[in-house]
Amino acid sequence: MPLPTPLQGIRVVDFTWVRAGPWAARWMGTLGAEVIKVEWPLNLDTLRQNRFTVPPGVEPGPNSTGQFADTNANKRGISVNTRTDEGLDLVKRLISVSDIVIENFSSRIMQRWGLGYEQLRKIRPDIIYVSMAGFGHTGRHHWYGTMGPAAQALSGLTHLSGLPGQPPAGWGWSYLDDTGGMYGAISALTALRHRSATGQGQHVDLSQMITGITLTGPAFLDKTVNGRKARREGFPPGNRTVWPGAEVVNNYRGPIAAPHNAYRTAPGGYNDWATIACLSDDEWHNLVKLMGSPAWADDRFDTIEGRLEHQEEMDEHIEAWTQKMGKYELTEKCQATGVRAMAVQSSQDRVENDPQLRHRDMYVPMDHPMLGPWKFQNAPFKMSKSPARMSSPPPMIGQHNRDVLEDLLGVDHQDLLDGYENGVFWPSTMDRYPYIEEALR
Amino acid sequence: MTSANGNQQDGGDIGGAFPADLSLPGALDGLRVLEICDERGQFCGKLMADNGADLVKIEPPGGEACRSFGPFLDDVPHRERSLSFWHYNTSKRGITLNLETKQGQDILKQLAASADIVLESRKPGYLESLGLGYDALSADNPGLIMCSLTPYGQTGPWRDYISSDITQMAGGGQMASSGYDEIDVPGAPPIAPGGGNSWHIGAHYAYIGLMGALYYRFLTGEGQYIDASIHEACALTTEGAIAIYLSTGDVVQRHTGRHAAPDMSPAIQFPTGDGGWLNTTRSGTNLTPQRLKLLADWFDQSGMAEDLTDERYQDPEVIAAENDHIVSVMKNFFMNSTLMDSFHGGQQRDFPWGAIRSMDELVGDEHLTDRDFFKEVEHPELGRSFTYPGPAMLYNGSPWRISRRAPLIGEHNSEILQGELGLNNSQLLLLAEGGVI
Repeated sequence: MPLPTPLQGIRVVDFTWVRAGPWAARWMGTLGAEVIKVEWPLNLDTLRQNRFTVPPGVEPGPNSTGQFADTNANKRGISVNTRTDEGLDLVKRLISVSDIVIENFSSRIMQRWGLGYEQLRKIRPDIIYVSMAGFGHTGRHHWYGTMGPAAQALSGLTHLSGLPGQPPAGWGWSYLDDTGGMYGAISALTALRHRSATGQGQHVDLSQMITGITLTGPAFLDKTVNGRKARREGFPPGNRTVWPGAEVVNNYRGPIAAPHNAYRTAPGGYNDWATIACLSDDEWHNLVKLMGSPAWADDRFDTIEGRLEHQEEMDEHIEAWTQKMGKYELTEKCQATGVRAMAVQSSQDRVENDPQLRHRDMYVPMDHPMLGPWKFQNAPFKMSKSPARMSSPPPMIGQHNRDVLEDLLGVDHQDLLDGYENGVFWPSTMDRYPYIEEALR
Repeated sequence: MTSANGNQQDGGDIGGAFPADLSLPGALDGLRVLEICDERGQFCGKLMADNGADLVKIEPPGGEACRSFGPFLDDVPHRERSLSFWHYNTSKRGITLNLETKQGQDILKQLAASADIVLESRKPGYLESLGLGYDALSADNPGLIMCSLTPYGQTGPWRDYISSDITQMAGGGQMASSGYDEIDVPGAPPIAPGGGNSWHIGAHYAYIGLMGALYYRFLTGEGQYIDASIHEACALTTEGAIAIYLSTGDVVQRHTGRHAAPDMSPAIQFPTGDGGWLNTTRSGTNLTPQRLKLLADWFDQSGMAEDLTDERYQDPEVIAAENDHIVSVMKNFFMNSTLMDSFHGGQQRDFPWGAIRSMDELVGDEHLTDRDFFKEVEHPELGRSFTYPGPAMLYNGSPWRISRRAPLIGEHNSEILQGELGLNNSQLLLLAEGGVI
């Protein structure tokens, strides 16, 4: 018998779309909550339209994108038109038997639907409501729009990434969609503990953009406490802790250290790089020994001051050495001699070449009705008594209407069929997919 | 303030979920957490402590090594003046304890017997080697939840690998997605974005695991052990890169200031006249004729629309054909505007752009002030108070708060060891002189 899951018995109404919101609800599903994603085919989740992740040979369509699949695993899904009275009423009935409502619309959308917190608590007094608008629901710019990259820019995170004197490199993905999602789940689960302890629900008003500011604490305090200018020469220092020639001040990543960089490795391909960081003189001497104690590595480099002063020369020599071997060979050699190092891993590397992720079952296979056998990203933690679990592929749009509406909410079968004819459960302008017809039989 | 599409709120509506009663306890009120963490786990502890958990940080005598991370108050290096340590250890109390001594181990076991959570980030197997693993600590406390948050987890071929923030971001895939277009910075390396975010990423997932375990304990009374891996957490945090590879076999390429992708995409970052950069987001500009007109009218107010007010641009085909020209008009406008004017002007016209703000632009922001984001925290030993970052989310029924500044080294030794465990003065003296605390 499988072990129980931690959130057994918890039901989540998931109005989220795109990435941050669905990713939040995905982790509640992975912890065993019953997550019901509410959709409408005429306002398709943009990830259902992601052009980069339709595998060759798979018929394109809203159920065929790999990015939607991983982001929405472990959920069920219904299609309901909340702009009809009947649809809205059913959504309210669903909320009345649920624990958590989560959404990432613009700041006043739910209120306009009649589903703001004041209305939600009338439907279900101890409801936990998590809103995930870009700027939050509170504050004069609550209506400003953000997507991940804009939120990152506004939060100060983008400014922390790049080479000095160059444009910001930023984050090469929507870090604040991933992390905004984390905070959506954190908000819901924290509020759930509060409910367990007090019986009270609440509205948690999350701002995706502000999550990024909370990840810049030391930089923030350097400004508010020391008044240090954030725009300054030599900052950000790329992969180093101090840029050569710049004032020696902390760059907010951790301790000042050298070497601390990415180095090219053999055979010189696009992702043939590895990182090395020596956080002490001892670790530096371990690296020198590993390199065969070359003549250039003389006593000028014995101290952190010397290594910072001669950083360019040191990095050139180190790279001449790292280029003689592959990134995994370099990683193993460094680790065997007490030097912090790791290969720069691409997506392909993580899926195919990373023995640690393989050992820890990072990619869990499940059958997906359109994509076939598919790998889903597992939870990054192992719980001894109630493990997180990859339980199901994502819902095809409207896949669970009958289960949820009839079995859970007690909708009469004929009323369900009528709803398909009058635009409550499926747009009258759209053909129904075969799995929908199948389910209605 | 009303945006061009007319359905926005005016500046007077700043309402929302702002907590009505700031005197209410936090969401984790009543939970006792023991934290045995360096830079890898201390942020997870902060997340709990600021939500009201009673968190006791257990440091080695002399304090955690990460107390020596800069920057420092007034740039004077000292283990009580690390702004990094200050930020990551708010709302905690602190004791010192040498866990390699018998007395230290006994004290930890006594504390664990009444704790709800133990969070630790020592090397895999270290606490167990001292007789302080989960089985030992939970022997008299079956409801105890313990989480080990470590670079690669407790098992597997890389379990004992040593790491730093940059090596975690290399292995996790952050670097393979971040960097520059060849045309912008030829030969640029993959870039590890700054700020120590691999530790944040690990902490977020550990927190989620802990909250899940708390609910399970609420249902069953049972505690459990959680083995959390920073490497796996980072490997999960590259948005679409894995899905793209699994779907098509394509490996994403790095692009300046925008999404890594299998193909080339248009530049989206533009310099402004005051030396800033505006990020217009990949899909945020999406120029329909109506939106182009909004831009043209805006630029025209300062005589910088060039020919974009011309009727012929009210045609999607013309917009597509003239894209390079339109972008050059935009660039010229931004170069003659300021970062914040470009940002607000865009947002007021429904362009979800982002100013690339540094702390210089961010501190004092009015929207953040409306949300009471800037928190004054007293440092009584200095007779000063400082402004800290507040929360991303407002809990309207259980307010987040910084209940105290980070603990001084061993600040609460007497309060906890005498006040709770009942040690007398001479016992405390002997522990101190014996190097236990």
